[in-house]
Amino acid sequence: MIRREIVFPVPREELWDALTEPERLEDWFANEVEVDLRPGGAASFRWSNGEERHATVTTVAPEERLAFAWDDEGEVEFTLSDDAEGTRLVVVETAPAWTTALDLQASALAHVHG
Amino acid sequence: MSTADPLGQVFSALADPSRRHVMDYLAARGTATATELTGELPITRQAVAKHLATLAGAGLVSSERRGRETRYRLTVVGREWDDRLGALRDHLDRRKET
Repeated sequence: MIRREIVFPVPREELWDALTEPERLEDWFANEVEVDLRPGGAASFRWSNGEERHATVTTVAPEERLAFAWDDEGEVEFTLSDDAEGTRLVVVETAPAWTTALDLQASALAHVHG
Repeated sequence: MSTADPLGQVFSALADPSRRHVMDYLAARGTATATELTGELPITRQAVAKHLATLAGAGLVSSERRGRETRYRLTVVGREWDDRLGALRDHLDRRKET
Protein backbone atom coordinates (compact mmCIF):
# COMPACT_ATOMS: atom_id res chain seq x y z
CA MET A 1 0.00 0.00 0.00
CA ILE A 2 1.18 3.49 -0.81
CA ARG A 3 0.01 6.40 1.30
CA ARG A 4 0.98 10.02 0.84
CA GLU A 5 -0.32 13.00 2.72
CA ILE A 6 0.31 16.56 1.62
CA VAL A 7 -1.18 20.01 2.34
CA PHE A 8 -1.66 22.38 -0.59
CA PRO A 9 -2.16 26.12 0.07
CA VAL A 10 -5.38 26.25 -1.98
CA PRO A 11 -9.12 25.96 -1.23
CA ARG A 12 -10.78 22.54 -1.49
CA GLU A 13 -12.66 23.50 -4.65
CA GLU A 14 -9.42 24.42 -6.43
CA LEU A 15 -7.77 21.11 -5.49
CA TRP A 16 -10.88 19.12 -6.44
CA ASP A 17 -10.93 20.75 -9.89
CA ALA A 18 -7.23 19.97 -10.38
CA LEU A 19 -7.96 16.31 -9.58
CA THR A 20 -11.08 15.90 -11.70
CA GLU A 21 -11.11 18.22 -14.72
CA PRO A 22 -9.41 16.66 -17.76
CA GLU A 23 -7.81 19.93 -18.93
CA ARG A 24 -6.37 20.43 -15.42
CA LEU A 25 -5.15 16.81 -15.20
CA GLU A 26 -3.44 17.28 -18.55
CA ASP A 27 -1.22 19.90 -16.93
CA TRP A 28 0.21 17.60 -14.24
CA PHE A 29 -0.91 13.97 -14.42
CA ALA A 30 -0.87 12.83 -18.03
CA ASN A 31 -0.73 14.32 -21.53
CA GLU A 32 -4.21 13.31 -22.68
CA VAL A 33 -7.01 12.72 -20.21
CA GLU A 34 -10.65 11.73 -20.55
CA VAL A 35 -12.82 11.33 -17.45
CA ASP A 36 -16.50 10.50 -17.09
CA LEU A 37 -16.87 11.76 -13.54
CA ARG A 38 -19.49 9.47 -12.01
CA PRO A 39 -19.37 6.07 -10.35
CA GLY A 40 -18.87 3.49 -13.09
CA GLY A 41 -17.59 6.17 -15.46
CA ALA A 42 -14.55 5.49 -17.63
CA ALA A 43 -11.27 7.36 -17.44
CA SER A 44 -8.29 7.15 -19.74
CA PHE A 45 -4.81 8.57 -19.46
CA ARG A 46 -2.18 8.79 -22.18
CA TRP A 47 1.41 9.87 -21.78
CA SER A 48 3.79 11.26 -24.37
CA ASN A 49 6.00 8.15 -24.06
CA GLY A 50 3.15 6.06 -25.51
CA GLU A 51 1.96 4.65 -22.19
CA GLU A 52 -1.80 4.42 -21.84
CA ARG A 53 -3.86 3.44 -18.80
CA HIS A 54 -7.56 3.00 -18.30
CA ALA A 55 -9.58 3.19 -15.12
CA THR A 56 -13.12 3.09 -13.81
CA VAL A 57 -14.34 5.78 -11.43
CA THR A 58 -15.68 4.18 -8.23
CA THR A 59 -16.41 7.08 -5.84
CA VAL A 60 -17.25 10.72 -6.49
CA ALA A 61 -18.02 12.85 -3.41
CA PRO A 62 -17.36 16.44 -4.58
CA GLU A 63 -14.52 18.20 -2.76
CA GLU A 64 -14.24 15.23 -0.41
CA ARG A 65 -13.39 11.91 -1.99
CA LEU A 66 -12.50 10.55 -5.40
CA ALA A 67 -11.60 6.95 -6.11
CA PHE A 68 -10.92 4.93 -9.22
CA ALA A 69 -9.79 1.43 -10.05
CA TRP A 70 -7.13 0.89 -12.67
CA ASP A 71 -8.33 -1.60 -15.27
CA ASP A 72 -4.99 -3.42 -15.13
CA GLU A 73 -4.65 -3.52 -11.37
CA GLY A 74 -4.98 -1.52 -8.18
CA GLU A 75 -7.12 1.23 -6.75
CA VAL A 76 -6.40 4.89 -6.06
CA GLU A 77 -8.28 6.97 -3.52
CA PHE A 78 -7.95 10.73 -2.96
CA THR A 79 -9.39 12.21 0.25
CA LEU A 80 -9.58 15.98 0.76
CA SER A 81 -9.99 17.69 4.13
CA ASP A 82 -9.63 21.17 5.59
CA ASP A 83 -6.31 22.23 7.03
CA ALA A 84 -5.24 25.50 8.67
CA GLU A 85 -2.87 26.04 5.75
CA GLY A 86 -5.17 25.06 2.92
CA THR A 87 -6.38 21.63 1.89
CA ARG A 88 -4.98 18.29 3.01
CA LEU A 89 -4.82 15.58 0.38
CA VAL A 90 -4.36 11.93 1.29
CA VAL A 91 -3.56 9.57 -1.58
CA VAL A 92 -3.78 5.84 -1.06
CA GLU A 93 -2.95 3.35 -3.79
CA THR A 94 -3.43 -0.35 -3.22
CA ALA A 95 -2.47 -3.13 -5.59
CA PRO A 96 -3.01 -6.73 -4.48
CA ALA A 97 -0.29 -8.30 -6.57
CA TRP A 98 2.56 -6.03 -5.55
CA THR A 99 5.18 -8.13 -3.94
CA THR A 100 7.90 -7.04 -1.63
CA ALA A 101 10.33 -8.91 -3.85
CA LEU A 102 9.60 -6.70 -6.84
CA ASP A 103 9.75 -3.56 -4.76
CA LEU A 104 13.03 -4.70 -3.27
CA GLN A 105 14.54 -5.33 -6.65
CA ALA A 106 13.67 -1.81 -7.76
CA SER A 107 14.89 -0.40 -4.48
CA ALA A 108 18.22 -2.20 -4.68
CA LEU A 109 18.74 -0.97 -8.25
CA ALA A 110 17.83 2.60 -7.30
CA HIS A 111 20.30 2.47 -4.43
CA VAL A 112 23.10 1.09 -6.57
CA HIS A 113 22.56 3.53 -9.42
CA GLY A 114 21.51 6.50 -7.31
CA MET B 1 29.41 -0.67 6.59
CA SER B 2 31.09 0.95 3.64
CA THR B 3 29.19 2.97 1.07
CA ALA B 4 31.70 1.79 -1.53
CA ASP B 5 29.77 -1.48 -1.81
CA PRO B 6 26.10 -0.44 -2.00
CA LEU B 7 24.86 -3.75 -3.39
CA GLY B 8 26.65 -5.65 -0.62
CA GLN B 9 24.99 -3.31 1.86
CA VAL B 10 21.56 -4.13 0.40
CA PHE B 11 22.20 -7.88 0.52
CA SER B 12 23.52 -7.90 4.05
CA ALA B 13 20.60 -5.74 5.15
CA LEU B 14 18.23 -8.33 3.66
CA ALA B 15 20.08 -11.34 5.03
CA ASP B 16 18.39 -11.06 8.42
CA PRO B 17 14.88 -12.57 8.76
CA SER B 18 13.76 -9.93 11.30
CA ARG B 19 14.67 -7.18 8.86
CA ARG B 20 12.73 -8.95 6.12
CA HIS B 21 9.72 -9.04 8.48
CA VAL B 22 10.12 -5.32 9.06
CA MET B 23 10.07 -4.79 5.27
CA ASP B 24 7.04 -7.07 4.79
CA TYR B 25 5.19 -5.12 7.43
CA LEU B 26 6.08 -1.78 5.85
CA ALA B 27 5.07 -3.07 2.42
CA ALA B 28 1.65 -4.08 3.77
CA ARG B 29 0.94 -1.02 5.90
CA GLY B 30 2.64 1.76 4.01
CA THR B 31 4.25 3.34 7.08
CA ALA B 32 4.93 2.38 10.69
CA THR B 33 6.65 3.70 13.80
CA ALA B 34 9.30 1.73 15.69
CA THR B 35 6.73 1.19 18.46
CA GLU B 36 4.18 -0.29 16.04
CA LEU B 37 6.85 -2.59 14.61
CA THR B 38 7.87 -3.71 18.09
CA GLY B 39 4.27 -4.79 18.70
CA GLU B 40 4.36 -6.90 15.53
CA LEU B 41 7.70 -8.63 15.96
CA PRO B 42 9.04 -10.84 18.73
CA ILE B 43 12.02 -8.55 19.34
CA THR B 44 12.77 -5.57 21.56
CA ARG B 45 12.22 -1.96 20.56
CA GLN B 46 15.98 -1.46 20.73
CA ALA B 47 16.50 -4.28 18.21
CA VAL B 48 13.79 -2.83 15.94
CA ALA B 49 15.54 0.57 16.01
CA LYS B 50 18.85 -1.09 15.09
CA HIS B 51 17.25 -3.00 12.20
CA LEU B 52 15.61 0.19 10.91
CA ALA B 53 18.97 1.98 11.00
CA THR B 54 20.57 -0.84 8.99
CA LEU B 55 17.74 -0.81 6.42
CA ALA B 56 17.96 3.00 6.16
CA GLY B 57 21.75 2.75 5.68
CA ALA B 58 21.16 0.43 2.73
CA GLY B 59 18.67 2.88 1.24
CA LEU B 60 15.74 0.48 1.60
CA VAL B 61 13.80 2.41 4.22
CA SER B 62 13.37 6.13 4.82
CA SER B 63 12.05 8.00 7.82
CA GLU B 64 9.91 11.06 8.22
CA ARG B 65 9.24 13.00 11.43
CA ARG B 66 5.61 13.83 12.02
CA GLY B 67 5.09 15.73 15.26
CA ARG B 68 6.55 13.65 18.04
CA GLU B 69 6.81 10.41 16.11
CA THR B 70 9.07 9.13 13.39
CA ARG B 71 7.40 7.07 10.67
CA TYR B 72 9.28 4.65 8.43
CA ARG B 73 8.42 3.49 4.93
CA LEU B 74 9.97 1.53 2.08
CA THR B 75 11.94 3.96 -0.03
CA VAL B 76 11.02 2.86 -3.50
CA VAL B 77 7.32 2.19 -3.07
CA GLY B 78 5.37 5.24 -4.11
CA ARG B 79 8.18 7.16 -5.74
CA GLU B 80 5.81 7.58 -8.68
CA TRP B 81 3.36 9.40 -6.38
CA ASP B 82 6.10 11.67 -5.03
CA ASP B 83 6.73 12.78 -8.62
CA ARG B 84 3.02 13.19 -9.41
CA LEU B 85 2.31 15.19 -6.25
CA GLY B 86 5.31 17.40 -7.00
CA ALA B 87 3.82 18.03 -10.46
CA LEU B 88 0.43 18.79 -8.88
CA ARG B 89 2.06 21.30 -6.52
CA ASP B 90 3.77 23.02 -9.48
CA HIS B 91 0.47 23.04 -11.38
CA LEU B 92 -1.33 24.74 -8.47
CA ASP B 93 1.52 27.26 -8.07
CA ARG B 94 1.36 28.16 -11.76
CA ARG B 95 -2.38 28.81 -11.48
CA LYS B 96 -1.84 31.11 -8.50
CA GLU B 97 0.63 33.24 -10.41
CA THR B 98 -1.77 34.05 -13.22
